[in-house]
Amino acid sequence: MRGKQQIQQEVDKILDSLEGIQRATANPYLFTRIKASLQKEEKSYWTKAFIFISKPAVAATAVVIAIFINAAVFFESGTKTNQTSQESEQLFASEYNLSSDSIYDATIDQQ
Amino acid sequence: MDERILVEQLKQGDETAFKQIVETWQNMVYNTALGILQNAEDAEDVAQEVFVQVYESIATFKAEAKFSTWLYRITVSKALDHVRRKKRKKRFAYVQSLFGADNQTIIEKPDFNHPGVTLDNKERAAVLFKAINQLPENQKIAFTLHKLEGLSYQEISEVMKSSVSSVESLMYRAKDNLKKWLTNHYKNNN
Repeated sequence: MRGKQQIQQEVDKILDSLEGIQRATANPYLFTRIKASLQKEEKSYWTKAFIFISKPAVAATAVVIAIFINAAVFFESGTKTNQTSQESEQLFASEYNLSSDSIYDATIDQQ
Repeated sequence: MDERILVEQLKQGDETAFKQIVETWQNMVYNTALGILQNAEDAEDVAQEVFVQVYESIATFKAEAKFSTWLYRITVSKALDHVRRKKRKKRFAYVQSLFGADNQTIIEKPDFNHPGVTLDNKERAAVLFKAINQLPENQKIAFTLHKLEGLSYQEISEVMKSSVSSVESLMYRAKDNLKKWLTNHYKNNN
């Protein structure tokens, strides 16, 4: 029982150990470091852009998008060609009276 | 000088105003980062990042909030990012060590001693900081801002963009978790 009380007391003391804490002070040269960092950032704008583009995730995403666009264009043009060829076939058939209707009509006429 | 005037001057690109801003708030930013990161070098890096961001995004600061609240927000978010980055690196190093790709040994973090703690409380405070490090992010932030920076629950709620009651609840849970952790620690070490 006494042990439990002791533990409780010590825990309370630990919890109170930050009472009266003073603020930690920063490095006096912090402003110089910040200025240097700002100047470095201005210089390395293009380097940063290059680093961003060459990140594996960014590069992989770009490749996937490129493949996707290529595939989309390929399939889109495939269906268009199909449609166009069907249309031109119909046009050709009607031009030379080759459509099934006209042949049927022609046979009826002959009879 | 009035903080509003300083902010306005910085918005116009005045370097002297920026220097004054850094000098006025550097200890506040550093102390907050130090409390969260528990490492002097990391805290310095984060303080630097915070002021770089302040310089770059001062145009987005609206006078509705206090400048110090805005600074606290940036500091907390940068410090948390730093913690996450470090954790990722640590995990990666651990995986590498499993595959024997790197012979570097993972160094255990030494006890953190905050320079502002009174001498007779040093040992106990080191244990408390260890316990604080086990807390979930939100509880850690609320507890650190309250105990290290002396912010009121109202001020913490403004920094964390939440209600005072949720800060109260965070603080209650933080203290409860710390008590549990410290009791276990005390039992195991005595």
